[in-house]
Amino acid sequence: MVRAMLTADELQILSTSLGVAGRAVLFSLPVAIAFAWALSRPNFPGKSVLDTIAHLPLVLPPVLVGYLLLLGLGAQSPFGAWLKSAFGIQLALTAEGAAVATAVMAFPLMVRAIRLSFEATDPGLFEAASVLRAGPWDRFWSMTLPLAWPGVLAGAVTAFAAGLGEFGAVITFASNVEGETQTLPLAINAALNTPGRDDAAFRLALISLVAAIVGLVLAELLQRWARRRLAA
Amino acid sequence: MTLQLREAVVRRGGFRLAADFELAMQGVTVVFGPSGAGKSSLLAAIAGLQRLETGLLTFNGRVLEDARTRVRVPAHERGIGLVFQDARLFPHLTVKGNLDYAENRRPAARNAPIVIEIARRLQFENLLGRPVRNLSGGERSRVALARAIVSAPELLLLDEPFSALDGRRRRDFLVLLRELSREQNLPMLVVTHHLDDAVEIASQIVMVRAGRVIGHGAAADVMARPDFMSLLDRRDFGVRLPAAAVSAGEAEGVWVRADSVLIASEQPRGISARHVWRGMIASIVRETTGGVLVSLATDAGYILSRITPEALQDLGLEEGRTAWAVLKAHAL
Repeated sequence: MVRAMLTADELQILSTSLGVAGRAVLFSLPVAIAFAWALSRPNFPGKSVLDTIAHLPLVLPPVLVGYLLLLGLGAQSPFGAWLKSAFGIQLALTAEGAAVATAVMAFPLMVRAIRLSFEATDPGLFEAASVLRAGPWDRFWSMTLPLAWPGVLAGAVTAFAAGLGEFGAVITFASNVEGETQTLPLAINAALNTPGRDDAAFRLALISLVAAIVGLVLAELLQRWARRRLAA
Repeated sequence: MTLQLREAVVRRGGFRLAADFELAMQGVTVVFGPSGAGKSSLLAAIAGLQRLETGLLTFNGRVLEDARTRVRVPAHERGIGLVFQDARLFPHLTVKGNLDYAENRRPAARNAPIVIEIARRLQFENLLGRPVRNLSGGERSRVALARAIVSAPELLLLDEPFSALDGRRRRDFLVLLRELSREQNLPMLVVTHHLDDAVEIASQIVMVRAGRVIGHGAAADVMARPDFMSLLDRRDFGVRLPAAAVSAGEAEGVWVRADSVLIASEQPRGISARHVWRGMIASIVRETTGGVLVSLATDAGYILSRITPEALQDLGLEEGRTAWAVLKAHAL
């Protein structure tokens, strides 16, 4: 059905968007879980620094985030050059680069959702697990993660939906390459800047809207499920 | 199986508990004292959920915590189980999942019943597939107890695990605890502030009052001590009799409250003789609250009765005289 409604170009753009947002979630999820876990602990030295780092992409202009990535990971930077020579990984102008930029932008959203669900779990349950011989690492895998699982999933879905719409950081860091880094917002921008392509821009905008709404509804359903589950 | 606390101090918020005792753990030991005396803090410290500020804790000769050398065995390596007052079942697992959690972490060398056995023994076999959120209070208590037993600890601590139960069901749970302790050869340390619970199951007692462990020993001995009375409500004053003295079956003992005992100066007639004892008046004490406590030395042991000053006068009771104690039938 989707195939019948969309043109080949639109399908290409949609699949680039889904691919970039999907990879972005995969990249940032483990790091977000680690940050969220650390931030859900009682006060420890450096907590506010960590908290600031986690929230930075939320307040920085996306273009600046893209620029910082370019400075840190771009082909001209020492680290970028090393990535290329050692692993053959090039981030600028590639879908991986677009995913990295999206991942950084979606990171605060994900940390927040996961942290809330870590904080919502009853610490008494961890005491109960420890007197059943579960050590700290065991408790993380057998209690912390499964209890927060719906929140983790909701965070991932929200980040995915937001990732579909990431513009500034992606275009600055990964540029606008058709079939590689041209996601929905980049394609809309390109269409608007081309005389006579207003219809195309409108259709792309509709696709964008539907994708975002589906993502949000999914995230909300997951949150509700999470609350029910923890209310035992 | 000796539990030892030496000059131990536990601090929780503004609360402080001091403990210094050594006790051979066998059967059911009751930690007894009024609410807020520090009983739960004592359990938390033994389980390793609460740090010792100072002092030493050993079990079976193994040092679990020594504040001086900063040695501290974490809770998950102590092999000491704890059943919480609020059960703390894992909400993301089924009843069986909760028991499996304990079984999967049990050292291979420890013997314990398998999940299905213990579920059958505690009569919740039909609940195994259920999520825990739909269980009743009594069911949660039993599942939490089963989970702790499946984990095969060397010592099991229980923090008022029967608080969700009352009447008949509470009594059944107490009987179950005593039976399980014997069957599994598992020493238990049970917290309660209810005198009847303590009398029913305690083979030993640890007394806690106002942030201090004030004494311990065999239940019959501890309950006969004057400072045991200091832990009781005025209306709970009384004496412990061996269960056999009143044919109370399986219980460790029975508590005969002074308010439930009448005193007669002549042998009563026309009433059931089963709960009448003849004895000699050992002491008469006037309470500041207006009552009179009469202690009667009988074959079953000392029996305490609370009477009014008028009754004392009317009956002409004196120390050294013979009298009869009559126990009201509903008191048992």
